[in-house]
Amino acid sequence: MALVLGIETSCDETAVGIVDDHKLLANVISSSVDQHVRFGGVVPEVASRAHLEAMQQVIKQALTDASVSIKDIDAIAVTAGPGLIGALLVGVSSASALALALDKPLYGVNHLSAHIAVDQLNNSDQLHPAIALLVSGGHSSILQVNNLATDVIVKGATIDDAAGEAFDKIARLMGLGFPGGPLIDKEALKGNKTEINFPRGLTAPGDLENHRYDFSFSGLKTAVARYLAQTPNYKKADVAASFQEAVVDVLINKSLTACKESGIDKLIIAGGVAANHRLRELAKQRCESAKIQFRIPPANLCTDNGAMVAALGSLAINEGVAASEIGISADSAAPVTQVVWK
Amino acid sequence: MSTVLAIDTSTSQTCVALVENGKVLFNKSHLDPLAHGEILPKLVAQALKLNSKIDLVAVGMGPGPFTGLRVGITFAQSYALAASINWVGVCSLDAMAANIGEKDFIVSTDARRKERYWARYKNGIQITEPAVSKGIELEKFGVKIFEEGKYFPEAVAIANLGLNSSSVTEPIYIRKPDAYPLPDGVKFRAMSALDLVSAVGIEKDVYGKAAWSSAQFKEEFAKAPKNANYLAAEVDGELVGYAGIYFAADVADIHTITVVENHRRKGIGRELLKRMIDWARVKTADAIMLEMRLGNDQARPLYEHYGFVEISKRENYYGPGLTAVVMRKELK
Ligand SMILES: [Zn+2]
Repeated sequence: MALVLGIETSCDETAVGIVDDHKLLANVISSSVDQHVRFGGVVPEVASRAHLEAMQQVIKQALTDASVSIKDIDAIAVTAGPGLIGALLVGVSSASALALALDKPLYGVNHLSAHIAVDQLNNSDQLHPAIALLVSGGHSSILQVNNLATDVIVKGATIDDAAGEAFDKIARLMGLGFPGGPLIDKEALKGNKTEINFPRGLTAPGDLENHRYDFSFSGLKTAVARYLAQTPNYKKADVAASFQEAVVDVLINKSLTACKESGIDKLIIAGGVAANHRLRELAKQRCESAKIQFRIPPANLCTDNGAMVAALGSLAINEGVAASEIGISADSAAPVTQVVWK
Repeated sequence: MSTVLAIDTSTSQTCVALVENGKVLFNKSHLDPLAHGEILPKLVAQALKLNSKIDLVAVGMGPGPFTGLRVGITFAQSYALAASINWVGVCSLDAMAANIGEKDFIVSTDARRKERYWARYKNGIQITEPAVSKGIELEKFGVKIFEEGKYFPEAVAIANLGLNSSSVTEPIYIRKPDAYPLPDGVKFRAMSALDLVSAVGIEKDVYGKAAWSSAQFKEEFAKAPKNANYLAAEVDGELVGYAGIYFAADVADIHTITVVENHRRKGIGRELLKRMIDWARVKTADAIMLEMRLGNDQARPLYEHYGFVEISKRENYYGPGLTAVVMRKELK
């Protein structure tokens, strides 16, 4: 049993979570998203300034919520990549200072793996082996998770835009605002998902040979842009629902193919886009009929948070992974296979 | 008894000192403008081996390049939080000036983009607030300038200042973040034949003899949406600007970015340009080209900011004596 404090600052949320093994004790998030709305996207310098401003208060609040003293913490975990470098550095520097001052181990961990590790909170069912579909603003990939702390294999990934990015861009084209994911999700609830037949990227027979588990959303994005330009009185809700269906359909289909072909009967969907209603609904349906065990974290733990980082730190400790050295490098482009920093 | 852990990451150097009752136990620095994040914890770990019972953390609050600066500040604050002690901020330039025995001088550090962070001191007292300026501006004061490279904000000086002087509680950024809000009250939409009358009017006002005709616009629109993208900017239903881009054979060409006189400097041109670039990316163009009238000083810095560089000039392009500057931005 270990009390782990996790820090997350890879994008625009300054977040700290505290877990006691599988038990979630605190999950505090301070988001600078409102500051970015005016810019139509996350501005790295604005995000980094906000992290520095919020960091200490968020740590204190998490300790208060968990009713623990900082001296009780057994280990510190922090997102060391991937993400915005200036933003990551605030979290890594803060975590390093905590570890040194408390003389406790530091675990620099991968943000993407942490999205999957959040599954373990309030849940002690064995997580791996599993196929994981990781979908967020910056990433869309299918992973084979043999052991989340030590052995993750990339089976496929997007060859252009991430799913979350496509949501942002289409929302912008329709003037819905930023961030696009939740806005399209909401708009789509009022629309007809079969109204427009948008293309499913990389599903043609030739593509299935060369890009069996890969995604592409740029063709879809162009198709939507063209539709909007050619249809003066388009219905936003129908476009949102049809676009969302095209994304979700491919994501789930390819994930299930990966499950079947690798003989793994468990699918975990994680990352910010996993909060999407239609993705959750359709994945549940298709997993049931394919007799695949389906796991997805509660929607509020899908977006970036500190609890997921603490959860991965906790999992690394349980799997006997060595702590990171003092002076780890934040890596903006860390691959998902680099789970815990040396 | 007081032991101070002092940190500065405001320059290309990371430095750490441990000062116990005025006695320097540890004082080390490392020069690397991109490694503050890795070096700082390592140096502090070394210092703590000599004495891990710290009473106060003192940190240089800048001015300095933002990313490195924040490493030191967030580290100091978090250390203090975990150790349940206080932290105190110090102006980094003061720590650089502390060991200079001149009567009247300037200390300056590298602010990147060919600029300097600086402050002026008389008899050891800061007489001008930290500022950022072109290096050449500083020479006008006619006093000795002490520059980063030979001089640095010293961690021991940070410790001493931290114990004595009033504190700086916020990072000294000076510069604003390099970000621009979307223009207020402006609507962006696809341009259509309904805009032709207004657009031709704007063309005449802005370009005179080189104005596009209605027929030229129609010809351009005909290539949309496959090979061209024309966007309109409107305020209260009135056309105030537009931009168009054409794509063929791997390279996209911005054919026009036009904003009416009384709506300039509101970020409309910037937003139109950003959307043109986005569209070229969607089309997976290798590069974007544009022509600009030589002497069009309003737009040039904007294009350069978004990565366009001059590749050639074309004489008499806009008519006799009117030279075009050709600019290109690589996307691949
Ligand atoms: Zn994320």
